[in-house]
Formats: sequence, C-alpha cells, structure tokens
Amino acid sequence: MTERAADGGARYAGARVHRVEDDRLLTGRGTFVDDVSLPGMLHACFVRSPIARAAIQRIDTSAALALPGVRFVFTAADLNPGVREQWHTTIGKEMPETPRPPLAEGEVRFVGDPVALVVAESRYLAEDAAELVEVDYEPLPAVVDYTEAEHAKALVHESHGSNVIAQLTTVPASAFDEVFASAAHVASETIYQQAYAPVPIEGRGLVVDYSSVTGDLTIHASTQTPHEVRLFCSRLLGMPEERVRVVTRDTGGGFGQKVMVQRDEMCLMLAGPVVGAPLKWVEDRRENLLAAGKSRQEHAAVKMAFDADGAIQAAYIDFVQDCGAYPTPWPLFPAAAVGTFFPGPYRVPRGGFAVKTLYTNTVGRAPYRGPWQFESLAREVLLDIAARQMHVDPAELRRRNLLRRDELPYKNPNGMNYDNISPLETFEQALAMLDYAKFRAEQAEARSAGRYLGVGLANYVEASTPGYGVYGTEPATIRIAPTGRITVYVAGGSSGNSIETTVVQLTADALGAKIEDVDTVQGDTAVTGFGAGTAGSRSGSMTAGAVRETAAVLRERILAIAAHELGVAIEDIELADSRASVRAKPAVGVSFKDLAALADAPAGLEASARYTANSPSIWVNATHVCTCEVDVATGRVQLLRYIVSEDCGPMINPNVVEGQIAGGTVQGIGGVLFEHLAYDDDGNPVATTFMDYLLPTAAEVPAIEFGHIETPSPGPGGYKGVGEGGAIGAPPAVVNAVADALSPFGVKITRLPLGPSQIVALLDR
Amino acid sequence: MKPAPFEYHAPNTVADAANLLAELGDGAKVLSGGQSLVPMLALRLAVFEHLVDIGRIAELSGIERRNGALWIGAGTTQATVEASALVASEVPLLAVATPLIGHFQIRSRGTLGGSIAHADPAAEYPAVALALDATMEVVSPRGRRTIEARDFFAGLWSTSMEPDELLVGVSFPIWGGRSGFAVEEFARRHGDFAIAGAAIGIELDAVDRIRRCTLGLIGLGSTPERARTVEAELAGRPVTDVEPDEVGRLVMAALPSVPSDLHGSAAYRKRVGAAMVARAWTTAAAEARHG
Ligand SMILES: Cc1cc2nc3c(=O)[nH]c(=O)nc-3n(C[C@H](O)[C@H](O)[C@H](O)COP(=O)(O)OP(=O)(O)OC[C@H]3O[C@@H](n4cnc5c(N)ncnc54)[C@H](O)[C@@H]3O)c2cc1C
Repeated sequence: MTERAADGGARYAGARVHRVEDDRLLTGRGTFVDDVSLPGMLHACFVRSPIARAAIQRIDTSAALALPGVRFVFTAADLNPGVREQWHTTIGKEMPETPRPPLAEGEVRFVGDPVALVVAESRYLAEDAAELVEVDYEPLPAVVDYTEAEHAKALVHESHGSNVIAQLTTVPASAFDEVFASAAHVASETIYQQAYAPVPIEGRGLVVDYSSVTGDLTIHASTQTPHEVRLFCSRLLGMPEERVRVVTRDTGGGFGQKVMVQRDEMCLMLAGPVVGAPLKWVEDRRENLLAAGKSRQEHAAVKMAFDADGAIQAAYIDFVQDCGAYPTPWPLFPAAAVGTFFPGPYRVPRGGFAVKTLYTNTVGRAPYRGPWQFESLAREVLLDIAARQMHVDPAELRRRNLLRRDELPYKNPNGMNYDNISPLETFEQALAMLDYAKFRAEQAEARSAGRYLGVGLANYVEASTPGYGVYGTEPATIRIAPTGRITVYVAGGSSGNSIETTVVQLTADALGAKIEDVDTVQGDTAVTGFGAGTAGSRSGSMTAGAVRETAAVLRERILAIAAHELGVAIEDIELADSRASVRAKPAVGVSFKDLAALADAPAGLEASARYTANSPSIWVNATHVCTCEVDVATGRVQLLRYIVSEDCGPMINPNVVEGQIAGGTVQGIGGVLFEHLAYDDDGNPVATTFMDYLLPTAAEVPAIEFGHIETPSPGPGGYKGVGEGGAIGAPPAVVNAVADALSPFGVKITRLPLGPSQIVALLDR
Repeated sequence: MKPAPFEYHAPNTVADAANLLAELGDGAKVLSGGQSLVPMLALRLAVFEHLVDIGRIAELSGIERRNGALWIGAGTTQATVEASALVASEVPLLAVATPLIGHFQIRSRGTLGGSIAHADPAAEYPAVALALDATMEVVSPRGRRTIEARDFFAGLWSTSMEPDELLVGVSFPIWGGRSGFAVEEFARRHGDFAIAGAAIGIELDAVDRIRRCTLGLIGLGSTPERARTVEAELAGRPVTDVEPDEVGRLVMAALPSVPSDLHGSAAYRKRVGAAMVARAWTTAAAEARHG
C-alpha cells in the first residue's frame, strides 16, 4: 500500500506500509534474549529478600553449592567490589546518584532486593539452589507509606541522613496568595495516583558471554538502549569499551523500564566474566513485578485560580513522589518535569511548583512511558472539578483557556517555550469525532432511565525528542552492496516501536529505492554508531534525521557516478525505483546494483553521517476523549468510545503512529481502572502475578478512534515523537469520564486506582 | 518460576492410577488439565515428588445419562462440556456456567473433575455442583464410593476426598418441569475468577408457585455456598410476588463469612453478590415462566 508520487518514485513515508518486522515476529521467528542459547551456557537466579527491611546477619551458601549442577553462589562480598564506575551516558558522570549496590550489602531494603546470585547448569537447578541459600535476617522497621516517609524515624538509607532524596521549589505557593485571594473562582485539591508499572511482555534479561581467550565481552540484552548498556558495562567493569559488544535483536517491550541499567543487570555483568561460560538471566514475571521497578505512586496539592469568565489566572502544584529504595535514575529531574509541564497547553499567566522525592522500603522507581504524566492527570482532573464548581461545561472551560496558534510561541510560567502545536485543533477535532452535543443528549436520556454515562476530556502537550546532551545526536550508515541490496544501520533499541520499518521507509524515499531492496541492521553495537536508543519519544524523529543526513551524502555519490556513467550532467539525473535515469529519457539509466558494482571498492557506495538536533525538544500535543457507563450496583466501568486526536506532525507511517497511541492509551486505561502494584502495611507486595496485577485485555478496551492534525516540527521531515502520549492522556480522560458519569451523586474523584470497589465506596460516601 | 523436581507418571487406567496414588502416598498429586496445579508448582506454592497425569485415561472422559442423572467423567474438558448438546438440554445450569470459566484456551485443557477437585470457592463448577446436589464418584484401592456435594467441599481448596482417592465422575441431577437457570457473576475482567456470583435454578408449578429453587453462591465464602434457608423460605411462594432484590438481600444476610482481598472488601463482595443474585433470579424466573 504505497502512493506513487508525482516524480514517479515510490513514496513510502506517510503510507501505511506493513511493518517489516511483522513477518518475523508473527511467525515465531523473533530472537528474544531467551532464544539465545550458547554452548555450555549457565543460568542465573537471584535470591531475593522476603522482608521489606532487615539486617543481613549471615548468608550460608553451602547447601546450595552442594547441589549437583550448581557452579557458583555469589553474595555482595563477591560481586560488589568489582564495581569500578557506575553512571549512565545519558545522565552524565557529574549528576548526583542514588546508591546502587549490585547485591544487597548488610541490609535489605525492599521485598525482592537481590541478596545472592546462584549460577547453575539450568534455571531449574538455579531455582532449586536459591531455595537452599540460608539467609538470617533481623527485621528492622520499614518505611512503607511514602506519605509518612519524610518524618519517619526509620531511614531507608542511613548514609543519606533523610528519606527525602531531593526537593526543589521554584516559587513558593505563598507568592500567589494575592491572586488566589482575589480570584473569582479557585479550585484546589490533593490528587493521588497509585503505583503501577510498565510490565513488558518480555521481562528484563541478559546473556553475558565473556571470552577469556580474546578478552571480549558480548552481551545479548533485552534493552531499549544497546549502546548505553555497552558503555555502562565497560565503565562498570573497567573494560575498554571496544572490548564490549551488545547485541539486541528483538525486545518484547520496554516502555522505559529497559532504558537504564539496574542492579540485577549489573550483577550479571560482574558475574559473567568470572563463571567461565556464557551466563543467562531472564527475568520471570514474578521478578518483574517484584524488582524491575515501579512507576507513578505520587500525589500533589494542586490549585488553579480563575477570573469570572473562567480564564485561568494562576496554577500551582506541590508534588510529592515515592521513589522506593533504589530509584534509577536520580529522581529530581523527572519529578521537576511534573512541575514545569503542569500548566499544559493552556494560557496560564502565573504559576510555580514545588517537588519532593522520597525513599521508601519498596521497589525502586524506574522510568515509564510519560514519566511525568502526573502533570496532565492532576491538571485535567482539577479542570473538571473546577468546571463543575463553576457550573461551566468542561469542554467550554477548556476551550476558553486552550492556546491558539496565533499565540505561539508561548512561554509557560515555568519556563517551557511551546511552539508548533495545535491544542485547540486537536480538541475540536476530537469533540467533533464524538459529536459532543449528541453525547450530552444521550447522557441526559440515559440518566432519566437510571443509567449513568459520562464523558472525559484531556489535553496535553509533551516534550519529545530531547535535543540536549547525547540525546541530541543520532548516526546512520547506509550501504548499497554490489548485489543491489541496501542496508541501513542505526543504533537500535526498537522494543516494539517499529524503528525497523520507519528507517526502511525513509531510506527508500531518500535514495529513490524500492522498499523491498532495503534492509536494516539495528541493535548491534559492533556495527552501529552510538545513539541513545528508544527513550523520550525520540527514536523515530532522531533516526529520521540520521537517515536524512546519511542518505544526502550517499545520494550525491550516486548522482556523481551515474552522471559520469551516463554522460550527462548531475542535474539531469533522477533517482527512483532503485535506479538512476536521465530525466528527459527515463529509458536511459543504470540500476543501483550496477552503480554499486561500478564503484571502485565494494565500500564505494557506503556513507555514514550523524544528525545533530536543532532544538532542545519537539513539542507534541493531543486530546483524549472517552465515554463510559458506570454500573452503580457493582462499580463496573465500561468504556464505550475512546477517541484520540494527536498532532505528531507528518506521520512516517500511520500504522506505527496509531499503534504507539493505542498501546500507551491502553496502559493509561489500565493504570486507572485495573493495575495496582500494591503493598500491604508491612511492605509485602500483594500483586506479584497476573492473577492480582490486572492488565486490561482486548475485552476491556473499546476500539480506539484516531484523528490526526499535522503541524510540522522544525526537525527533520517535520516529524515529532509519539511514543509516550497515549499513557499521558488516557488517565485523566478516564478519570474525568467516570467522574462525569457519577456527577449526579456529587462524587469527586481525587484518588486512584478506580477499581469497582473504590467506585462503590465513593458512591456510598 | 520453574517447578521443583518431580517424577512424572502417566497411567492408562483408573485402577493403575488409584494404585499409584496409594503406593506413592502424600508426595503424589493428580495432574489433570494442569490449569490450576501447574501455576502453583511453577510458583513453588506447591511441591510434589510425583505427578500422576490422568490425561491418558479414556474411562475418565465422557458425558452420558446414568440412572436418571447426567454423568460427566472427571477428565472431560470444560470445552467439551461447553460444546455438549446433552449438557445444554439436561443440565442447563452447567451449560451457562461454563463459558464464564477463564478463557477458551484454559477451558480446552481444564477439566470438570480438576475444577471440582480443586474446590476453589470462586470457581463456577463447585458452586453449580453444590447448587444441583451433584454426586461425586471417587475411586481408591479400597474401592469406589460416592460423596454428596454438600459433604464434599470441606474448606478453601480442600475436599473430603482422601489423598489417594481419584475423582472419576460427577453425576448431575436432571431437573424437569417448568424450570429456569441462570449464572450471573462479577469479575474484574473478562475471564477472571468472580469477585461474587450466583448460580440459580427455579422450578415452578403450573400456577407459577415456586416448587423448588436453588441458590448457589460463587466467591462468597471459603467454600462454594448455598443459601438453603432462603430457598426454604421462598418455596411455595408465587414467583411473581418475589422481588429479586429481596432475594439478594436475604441471601447476603444468611451468609456466614465473606472473604476480603485486594479486589474487594467483604462488604463490597456482599453488595455485588446481592446484585448478582437479583440478576440471576430475574433471568431464571423469566425462563421458568416463559420457557
Ligand atoms: C488464567 C486462568 C483463569 C482461570 N479462570 C477460571 C475461572 O474463571 N473459573 C474457574 O472455575 N476456573 C478458572 N481457572 C481454573 C481452571 O478452570 C482449571 O482448569 C481448573 O480449576 C482445574 O482443572 P484442571 O483440569 O486444570 O486441574 P489441575 O490443575 O490439573 O488440578 C487441579 C487440582 O485438582 C486435583 N485433581 C485434578 N483432577 C483430579 C481428579 N480426577 N481426582 C482428584 N484430584 C484431581 C489436582 O491434583 C489439583 O490439586 C482459571 C485458570 C487460569 C490459568
């Protein structure tokens, strides 16, 4: 399914090209870490703490080591001294860090904390042996509830001296006292979001393959950032980076959880070179829910002042976040982003924020798609509450405050300079797709029949494609082999987000090649240059830049060789269908295959280049609208329609864009209605299997309807990032829909999750 | 998530299976469809030295009329029950309950006997067996005996079978006359175990008086439950005089103790349970009256 462009060459960008990875993935030929099997490979299993906080008195590994087939049992004393340096390339060496011991040293700090690493001839044996490792724990008082952490006597990390990791206040709330005191309307609430997590289908995992003969270390990793894994590992072990190679073929989802190297992976990197054989660890579901990291779990006191017409006068957020025992990375900046983005795509003349991050004896915080999505949740839920207080329709209140194109660029009070966005356009498009007025009529009719329908709206603006530091650079190599096959090499980190397809489309277009002639190699650090992988909604838009730069170089060479060969001027050559031909006489030409064979050396038709971002970030905006019916007897929420209108600029591939939006939206729906990484009062996790950690399935989610507005960005191709928005927009849209459905009962929703029992409790209040 | 080591046995006859179980003693466990047992083994919540797989025993599967009841072999898969015309006509309550068990992938391996022997209070089949006064047929080297449903479900995931006894079949009484049946349950998601549910049968006489009714309850106790006192109160009353909501309230009031967990408190379960009883009652009563 491709369109023919006017110049006769196929145009793939913008078309619903089938994903090139699908044949492989849908026929079971993907290569995930667990599919990697090397001769003599050993298997690792962690012994994990069953207690939220305890002193480790003694570890006896003798019974485990006595089990036939067990090779090693490592404890902190064995592995931790091997750490040379540990910092992430994307964060930098100078940034503050939270502690990150590979194995627990002296004290365990959450249920799931890795205490020992067993290495055996099979995972079965390793699990048998893990049960035989005797650890004497002396329980210590644990900090479980983050809202009490700041003043708790117990400290999660004694050495830090406080359970407050870091805090930041731009302007104190009191600076706006006058505005709020004189405002016609003020809405002020404390809004809570529970812990939930990315739960990729494939857990984390590594095969670490060290050759004592060559001194080379090869790591097969389930990661979004193969090059980060390589550099992190080389620093961790003090190995020259050229000795370390990371190979990532297929990664079964990451959603942020596989962006950073965490303690478990560090253990494997440290143990790998010692065990004398390749070493595999594949995280199972229970470990993933126990130890791979939680997200969300936060609250904020938020307030907005409005004038008599409903125009926002000021917005303030005082935000508090639970970061667990071992957050990765240092949490202040992601937390501060909740503050900076809180004003959203609205005209907000005054505002400020305060943020605080806290340690608790629970699993550490890890990045998750839209790491600061709380800003949108808090703002959009507050706007609905404000609208109800003011007796204004929530759509009308938003319409009055949404930024218009003619106001751009617009600097929000927290320093964010928005441009190239279309908040009012996505909003109106989404409302039109629903037929908002018609829904309101249906709602009124249903209510009179004792049925409760609701509609929820949410707008957001998101910073994608960070352009600073190592995020702002992305390389590509493109090679035309003498066979005519074209291969595009990019850093990789595709974890379902289809960079394989989009770079193939873009390369074909940029060179004038047939898409079926183009292959891609990604995720192998031996043959690709450094790129920061899939994070920050950057991979599509940054690799687009890399392909553009590289293809431009290669195109010039093709044109020069072809002009020489065909005896015409360079300007007279056009490239299409993997062929260079004379513009006036299309029959006269030479194929890329023949051109590649003509080039002096086989490498003659190869180019490498690097794209450097030209802006600190690329703004994306969207509107989510959903409708639901609530069964007031049981508290069940049935979503009826779900509409997303998104402006991600021109789309490289609408299938990919819509897949990204749908996936994130379902995660956001899950976060409101189903998912809860809950702990009991003693710090024991209570959702450690999919029996209790409930993910939404196809049966719980309506078909998602997509609308698109195209405002080009200043970046390559005008493209923007679209990876995270679904998970940002969905939670407030769903909350607002439920609140709207229950408005006849005077229900106000300020606390998640919204399981059926919580909804019934709200109704009974 | 790998099970501890076990030895695997796959007998071909009931007699061999019973002998193996007796011989291997407490360290042995029957493996049927594995849909409940295997996850527990994988999580090491249960550890057994021997698994006796009964999947190859032909005499354990089948659906047939025996002595005025419908006999279903313990090894019959839930999918087979779901597709059976005989079940649909003779034991409609079982037929309407089956699609509510998990997902079709689970039903194509999970067995009727496995579900009943597993005795999960939130499972459909135990509640249906209790509601219909089914009879369990068990075999050990000591011989064959039957256990009435009311004596079978002993507690959370436990039954009155001896460890060496094999459940071979379950006989479900066939209701005649003007009867109607319904199962209503509330689960967090499609295919989840119910938070609360009701399996109800109603038989009416010619003038719409309740000749008998049965009120089986799902997920509302440590075993499947039955509201016998309420059934007795309702018997003889004209069905048109009975308010479904009232039945819901009466049933919940009669319950001994209701569980609480992450997905709902006891009070929440009772509220949902009352709604499910009322909805199932409404459907069953309409079916009994109008066919
Ligand atoms: C995701 C998922 C969702 C599910 N949802 C539901 C649901 O909604 N409702 C529901 O009812 N069930 C549900 N189940 C459970 C499913 O129905 C199981 O199949 C059933 O409970 C057990 O049957 P089985 O044949 O798989 O037995 P197994 O798992 O093999 O055995 C279960 C237990 O019964 C014993 N046993 C089995 N057969 C016999 C026998 N003949 N004699 C003596 N002991 C025996 C075993 O020793 C074991 O203790 C679900 C399962 C899964 C994995």
